[in-house]
Amino acid sequence: MRETWTDILANSFRGVVERLALVAPRLLALLALILLGWILAAVLRRLTLRLLAAADLDARCARWGLSAILRRGGIRDAPTALLGRLVFWIVLVMALLTGVEALEIPATAGLAAVIVRFLPNLVVAALVMVAGWLLANFLAQRTLIGAVNAQVAGAPLIAAAVRWLVLVFAGAAALTQLGIAREMVLLAFGIAFGGTVLALALAFGLGGKELAREILESRLRKQEEERDKLTHI
Amino acid sequence: MESLFPAGTLAALEAAGPVEVLVGIPTLNHARSVAGVLDGVGAGLTRRFAGQKVLALVVDSGSQDGTLEAVRAWQAGEPPLGAVQAVRLSGPSQRGRAIRAVLMAARHLNASACALVDGDLVSVTPEWVERLLRPILSGEADLVLPTYTRAASEGTLTTNLLAPLMAALYGRRIQQPVGGCLGLARSLVARLLEAEAWMGDLAIHGADLWMVTEALASGAPVVETHVGHRRVHPAPGPSDLATILVRVVGPLFSLMERYREAWERVRGSVPPPRAGSPSALLPPAEEAPAERMVRAFRMGLKDLLPVWEQIMPEETLSRLYPLGLLPAEEFRFPPPAWARVVSDFALAHHERRLPRDHLLRSLTPLYLGRVASFLGEARAASADRLPQILEEIGGAFEAEKEYLRARWR
Repeated sequence: MRETWTDILANSFRGVVERLALVAPRLLALLALILLGWILAAVLRRLTLRLLAAADLDARCARWGLSAILRRGGIRDAPTALLGRLVFWIVLVMALLTGVEALEIPATAGLAAVIVRFLPNLVVAALVMVAGWLLANFLAQRTLIGAVNAQVAGAPLIAAAVRWLVLVFAGAAALTQLGIAREMVLLAFGIAFGGTVLALALAFGLGGKELAREILESRLRKQEEERDKLTHI
Repeated sequence: MESLFPAGTLAALEAAGPVEVLVGIPTLNHARSVAGVLDGVGAGLTRRFAGQKVLALVVDSGSQDGTLEAVRAWQAGEPPLGAVQAVRLSGPSQRGRAIRAVLMAARHLNASACALVDGDLVSVTPEWVERLLRPILSGEADLVLPTYTRAASEGTLTTNLLAPLMAALYGRRIQQPVGGCLGLARSLVARLLEAEAWMGDLAIHGADLWMVTEALASGAPVVETHVGHRRVHPAPGPSDLATILVRVVGPLFSLMERYREAWERVRGSVPPPRAGSPSALLPPAEEAPAERMVRAFRMGLKDLLPVWEQIMPEETLSRLYPLGLLPAEEFRFPPPAWARVVSDFALAHHERRLPRDHLLRSLTPLYLGRVASFLGEARAASADRLPQILEEIGGAFEAEKEYLRARWR
């Protein structure tokens, strides 16, 4: 009985050690690849920054108006820093994928190949999102300024609604591109968009009919009054 | 020239020329007013320039309201002047193209003096025509600009932004940079036609301002002449305030880029030589809607802050916050704070910190606040103090110039 217990203990310990001996090199390989990837990413990032600084990219982007476009989109970083960070993360993610492959876990086998195959769709989806985000900001700002100049109450709310409408539309387009639950996305977007428009039409048509007339009338009246009393040029 | 004028027009013009004096009337949907303008111009050329070869040229850039038919009807009556021609330009309906066509005709006909009178300026009289052209013909000036006797509630963008900023930039305190009429010497016409500005955006809405800026920046002799009261019959169409700011302030800011070297070296300002009786600023109309303008300013301060934060630094914004708490009757937007706001907008426009159209439209509530303050000051002041109010605005813009110069990259 005592021998059996010892054997069991020894066997299980041996088993763990054997399994560890089998996995440890792979884990070490993963850690080494991550470390190497991180070092390589940092070096390439620094190299990119130096090269782009030598090419005077920030000043060129300012001249071409690209920096202003980024600022308008809420990105405060310089284009050089942005590209440096992009290079860093691309290299690090590649190192991670290679490391995961090195683990030789059945669940992750071929993951890198799948991701590489998926990359074009991912890039297109990202571009759709970036374009949507820029358009959303542009239209929201335009709406905000127009509504404030027309002295419409709740201008920020209207601008936020416009921003989210465009973002949701861009998000739906990006998800469709990725092929993620395509039918569900289309259906959900159609219902949400149609519902919003219908709700607004009903709210404005039934609830705000008088208000709408009053706003339009007072606006026209004000314009006439102002035209009579003030000249700007 | 052939690309602007339709076929056959040149031959007709040549048959009329050469002329000594040419008055061009650019029109765009001015059917209601063009006959009145022609009455004043025609009588002026006939009576004041008798014995000289003259021509009035209506250049229409694509009216849809029968402006040219109105001109023909005027010609078919008993016009005070026979030498009138009307031309319709092909291509896009741009005021700048009509102005360029007038200048081209003046050069083609070798006119010594050329005047431009807007097709909506119904208050033009024979005296106006003479006052715009005499200083040119006598060699006193290359550019003659009008001054008007106006109420404080008239031309508020001119008195609070255009005139003081241009004076600070280019060193001459002209009162009406965009006055609706002006006189040009042959040499200035030639120089303007050589410039490439006609090819850019400036030609669409900023041609008037550009001509004046070019004369000021090049040091050409400029004379102002008082012509009396200004009355216009504006063409139908959209004319909301934000669009006016885009079309007038936008070109002014764009011209700052073009003439940077000129304005950076100018220090101080002097009034140009003035002819005729002095112009006067009259108290504003009582019913000017100051309360609504203050409300617009407050709403801008509340809702447009995220946009203004991209244009103005915290230091400028902190000068605006207390103004939002003032009651309408005590509302005052001091000229130094206003001049700083305009400087920050000019810098942001130059650096393209946000779409230029958005930037200029977002100036609307601030401008309305400034106008409310200006009208309040003018209403409270005696008639003697009104010119002093204008001097204070001009002084504030001159004081701001160093700030602008230091930050303009």
